Amino acid sequence: MNKLRLIIAREYLSIVGRKSFIFMTLGMPLLFILIAAVPAVLAYFNDKGSDTQHIAVIDDSKRYAAALHSDDMYDFVVLQGDSTANPREFYDKAGGSIDAIVVIPRDVDSTGVVNIYSEGTITPALASTVRSAIADTIESAHLAAMGIPNLQSMVQQAHVDVDVRSVKWSEQGEQESSTEAAMGLGFMLSLITYMFVLMYGAMIMNSVIEEKTNRIVEVVVSSCRPFQLMLGKIIGVGLVGLTQMAIWILLLGIVGTVAGTALGLNQVASASPEAIAQAQDLGAMQTIMQHVLSINYVPIILNFILYFIGGYLLYSSLFAGLGSAVDQPSDSSQFTTPVILIMLIAFYAAFACMDNPSGPMAVWCSIIPFTSPVVMMVRLPFGVPAWQLVLSLVLLFGTALAITWLAARIYRRGILHYGQKASFKDLFKWLK
Amino acid sequence: MAYLDINNVVKRYDGHTALDGVSMHVEQGCIYGLLGPNGAGKSTLIRIINRILAADEGSVTLNGKTMTDSDITHIGYLPEERGLYKKMKVGDHIVYLGRLKGMTKADAVASMHWWLDRFDLKQWENKKIEALSKGMQQKVQFIGTVIHRPPLLIFDEPFSGFDPVNAEQLKVEILALRDQGSTILFSTHNMASVEEVCQHITLLNHARVVLTGSVSDVKQSYKKNIIAVQTLDAIEPNQDLFSILPQDPVKKQDTLIKLNAGIQVRDAISWLNDHYRLTGFTEVLPSMNEIFIETVKSQNTIQNNE
Repeated sequence: MNKLRLIIAREYLSIVGRKSFIFMTLGMPLLFILIAAVPAVLAYFNDKGSDTQHIAVIDDSKRYAAALHSDDMYDFVVLQGDSTANPREFYDKAGGSIDAIVVIPRDVDSTGVVNIYSEGTITPALASTVRSAIADTIESAHLAAMGIPNLQSMVQQAHVDVDVRSVKWSEQGEQESSTEAAMGLGFMLSLITYMFVLMYGAMIMNSVIEEKTNRIVEVVVSSCRPFQLMLGKIIGVGLVGLTQMAIWILLLGIVGTVAGTALGLNQVASASPEAIAQAQDLGAMQTIMQHVLSINYVPIILNFILYFIGGYLLYSSLFAGLGSAVDQPSDSSQFTTPVILIMLIAFYAAFACMDNPSGPMAVWCSIIPFTSPVVMMVRLPFGVPAWQLVLSLVLLFGTALAITWLAARIYRRGILHYGQKASFKDLFKWLK
Repeated sequence: MAYLDINNVVKRYDGHTALDGVSMHVEQGCIYGLLGPNGAGKSTLIRIINRILAADEGSVTLNGKTMTDSDITHIGYLPEERGLYKKMKVGDHIVYLGRLKGMTKADAVASMHWWLDRFDLKQWENKKIEALSKGMQQKVQFIGTVIHRPPLLIFDEPFSGFDPVNAEQLKVEILALRDQGSTILFSTHNMASVEEVCQHITLLNHARVVLTGSVSDVKQSYKKNIIAVQTLDAIEPNQDLFSILPQDPVKKQDTLIKLNAGIQVRDAISWLNDHYRLTGFTEVLPSMNEIFIETVKSQNTIQNNE
């Protein structure tokens, strides 16, 4: 036991002390923030940076030009009485003082077609501004043409947004839940499990191969049993992963708090229309948050931890066993491809099961041990019958222990095998 | 009963037999050479003693008791293919290996300091292993093997990769460990080092023991009754006593004579002394190298003829 602790500690410290680990742990959240922030920053500079565009409007219909309102971005200038003018000639005459010409044809009411001409780029933003302004105006004109008083407001009143609330009967009485929140949570847990197992499985495999290539392994197994070394690695790397996750959660908390405070201050400072709209958004957010909070987390988290451990043990011992059979990381792909394929299938199954978390595919995939750690995560927030959970967990842990045992047998032989590349046939021989 | 007894050990891999009834008896406090060509089964035998592999048949006893997993703390093993964790610090690495062998942290640290001092590596304690030269890495490896002062040491090709100066230092350390009571099992191809340090040898070939005994006995049993004689006159062959062998290209002043069967050395010498101006003579014993090559070659011919 003491030796196992030593091996775990060495493995853990050797990875955590690496520059690449520190870089990765601090760099990943930064990368995410950057990815999230870049479009906003770009859009900001795009809006600020560009000058107001001057748009000439030729209105043959004589009715709809007024619908185009000038603002910071577009300055619409209606050309009076120039209905016969050729847009091309006019554009050339203007000699670059206008950026585009909008031509509203006489029969726009029936055709619904408006043209924009330019030598430069016609931005989607301009097209959509023109489209919505003209469409709204034509629509109101149509309604007015029907001659029914107050039709406009009647139509507006008739318009409804339907909010579907799902209520689940459980032992605690009626519980309002949100399928979206449950789906989101399930998907997140599933993604975490998938990423973690793949990332740290690969890390274990590299660590096994590294010890083998630099030949330290023979010295170490002359002091401890190969199984202790393998288990020590699996636990050590697992702890590295948990450390990394803890740091990320901590960073998330700090960033969240800081951002929350900053937003709060902003709101107090300016009661602009945007802030009010934001407040409304926040209200919607609050309902979502309520739904998110209404999920019963204790069983979900407990099950998540169980599946996480089972899945990690299963796949990491597979990776350790397979890693012991090769001399160089570049040779490992022949063994890892099938494993990664199974993981991918599990992930796609989880994705497909989100629509119908109680369907036959979801049920089977969440019971089969190789897919269950990923797929069950999607089902958990929706509630899973107890017998399925128990069956699935028993199968998962039974298989994980069996795989660990088999992997240890391969590992024992593999770490001393050099030279000729091992094949799957050799691995089966080593199992005996 | 010897300190380390290996009795009829058999190890089969799928398809071939790596050890076929090998027995070996290593006395306490001696340096024992385990010899043999590549693929003879030396590494397999060493791994069985280290309990990295399990024997299919036979037993290994240490101090009269069948070895168990806990006995590996009594062994220090330097494998032929050396390896270290390149990113670890020298001191940490040595302490780690010591603690894996069951030392307490304090003992391991104290022992590490003592050895680093002895090998002049003190200023490297907090450097990463990858910063060390190859020779220094070999020394660290050696320290890692002996840090826990094991009563049984197993060295597989210990001198490979050492320059002559460091090899000499290593030899001195190995002899010192023997004098302090350690038993040393020494696996090598380097026959010169066998003659220098080993008291006993076992020669393995094709998974079996083909020759075993003390170095002097083995040499005696392989002697070919050749005497190097120094005289002031040219010696003529004597059909009753000896024939003359071609000259040794290195020692040109010597005449090599081969005694006829049944002729004693002193009879030949006294006859030579009567007929020539004799200035000196030495009996030529075969080197371990010659014995090794001869035994292995004759074995292989027998095998091929079978």
